Amino acid sequence: MTMRTISATAATAERSPVRRRSGPLAGAVIACWALLCRDLRVVLRSRSQLYSSLLLPLMLLAVLGIGISDGLEPSSSVIRDGDYVSYLAAGMIALTALFSSTFSSASFYRDRDSGMLRTVLASPHSPRTIFLGKALAAIVIGSVQALVLLAVAVVIPGIDLDWQYGWLGGLGMAVAAVLLLNLLLSGFALVVATRIRTMQGFHLVMNLVLFPLFFLSGAFFPLGDLPGWLYVIGLANPLSYAVDALQVAAYAADTRGFIGPAIDFAVLGGLAAVLFTLGLKRSPQVV
Amino acid sequence: MLLSTVQEANAFPQESVVALERACFRYAGGYGVREITLDLPTGAILGLLGPNGAGKSTILSLAAGFRAPQEGAVRVLGASLAEQGGDRLRARVGVLFQDTSLDPLMSVRETLWLHGRLFGLATGDLHARIDELLVLIGLSDRSSDAVGALSGGMQRRLELARAILHWPDLLLLDEPTLALDPDSKAALWQLLQNVNAQGTALLVATNDVGEAERYCHTVAFLDAGRLVRSGTPAELKRGLRRDSVRVEWADPPDAIEGTLSAWEGVGSVTRAGPHLHATVDDASVFVPRLFAFAQGGIRAVQIHESTLEDAYFQAVRHPFAPNGRE
Repeated sequence: MTMRTISATAATAERSPVRRRSGPLAGAVIACWALLCRDLRVVLRSRSQLYSSLLLPLMLLAVLGIGISDGLEPSSSVIRDGDYVSYLAAGMIALTALFSSTFSSASFYRDRDSGMLRTVLASPHSPRTIFLGKALAAIVIGSVQALVLLAVAVVIPGIDLDWQYGWLGGLGMAVAAVLLLNLLLSGFALVVATRIRTMQGFHLVMNLVLFPLFFLSGAFFPLGDLPGWLYVIGLANPLSYAVDALQVAAYAADTRGFIGPAIDFAVLGGLAAVLFTLGLKRSPQVV
Repeated sequence: MLLSTVQEANAFPQESVVALERACFRYAGGYGVREITLDLPTGAILGLLGPNGAGKSTILSLAAGFRAPQEGAVRVLGASLAEQGGDRLRARVGVLFQDTSLDPLMSVRETLWLHGRLFGLATGDLHARIDELLVLIGLSDRSSDAVGALSGGMQRRLELARAILHWPDLLLLDEPTLALDPDSKAALWQLLQNVNAQGTALLVATNDVGEAERYCHTVAFLDAGRLVRSGTPAELKRGLRRDSVRVEWADPPDAIEGTLSAWEGVGSVTRAGPHLHATVDDASVFVPRLFAFAQGGIRAVQIHESTLEDAYFQAVRHPFAPNGRE
């Protein structure tokens, strides 16, 4: 089919010379940064998400912690002086990361349903870059919220944290553990989100998988006191390593903790890398 | 850091912005398009018309590089998807999707900012460009407002501003004025014509034949994934008789199309169930003769001057669409 050609030479000349960065790597970094800024702004406006991610762990810390400390008087040697509130702090930091990361990762569905995802995927970046940018946002949001809970735990007088590597070293370990945990959770969320079509299904899978894992992570009770089969499950549970790293950083009686920080960080880092790679390998067809 | 200009990147000349050559794309459930040959010249506006499932959106996704043809060839801006890569192609294409694709929690300016950053516009240039576009779409005083607070027409204008923010050479529009009121439609088309006047070629999928006739330089009729007819609106209307008559007839005789088209002064006649459509030289002669012939059974008759819609209706038959459209 031949159609008439319309001259646009004069009109084209009126265009402004907009400057573009030409390096693909620089472009990808800018894109990830832009997506991160955008998701942060949206979360800051979504107050319910912001508050609920922090309030539940704080409520558990207050109600469950005080209730068990005073009501049951736990006698485990791992729980110092029967102070369950302080023991629970590390687990609640992990729980905050879990909640926050799950909510943030669910923004994939919100963006898909609003059409935003289709629009950003129509930009000159690979889907991997786009999903990496969104995952980074989830990691940052989850980490900041978890560390806010750590800060709250530090200032609450009833919580007695014990920094085995000094407060600076302990804080560094806690930040590293929280970052790796969020990396792992975001990687897992990415794997799930690229395979599950609905947000309801996503939340169902996340809850079905993550909550049992969380209960068996040593967040609520010391793994060493569990019967053999539960102990084995606990050791096979990736979240156990995050909780252990946090306890070594801010609670444990010695610098080794229950598993050991070297193993904790090796397992968390390795799993996070594997899950992220798996998640980025498959991009959903949304356009 | 290396910098270049959009114009430098777009240096190679080409006649066709989009060229489909016997392109086929098949979904799991059937063909999206089959053996389509189509050409969008530089600076032109090409309208794609057809019922739902005709292949309009598939052609747009092929042109955007979202999909590659399984058979045949698609060249966009001078190269195939494989030759230039999806990333490079998308840098020069703007897309206005059929459904709203805005985040209601973001502000107007943030929406444009995100898009500009994704397309690699430098910060200073980007803010100037956003200001310019906000004036163009009449949202300068709403730049800090949440997108969710805008009317449907404003949101559509914002989406258009976003689509043209990076000065694309090709703008793909999927039902750009769907669900807009007449004023908003006219305003949006004025913007689109301005964009086109600046050298951007427009590929528009629409169900609005009137819009296509008014604003598109060329129009392609599609049906069931195939190209049925194409040309300028004037070319497509050529051969139509002066008047268009639509008839609702309870139980027309078999082969009524052949009978009527044999009458003097009657052009083509098409039928979809109880609905007949004919173009005739003079409706005041045809209609009384039709009533006499039918001897009852005719429920309604509509007469108007032939338009592109009549050409469309004759080219694209659809059993569920009495006026040629779903």
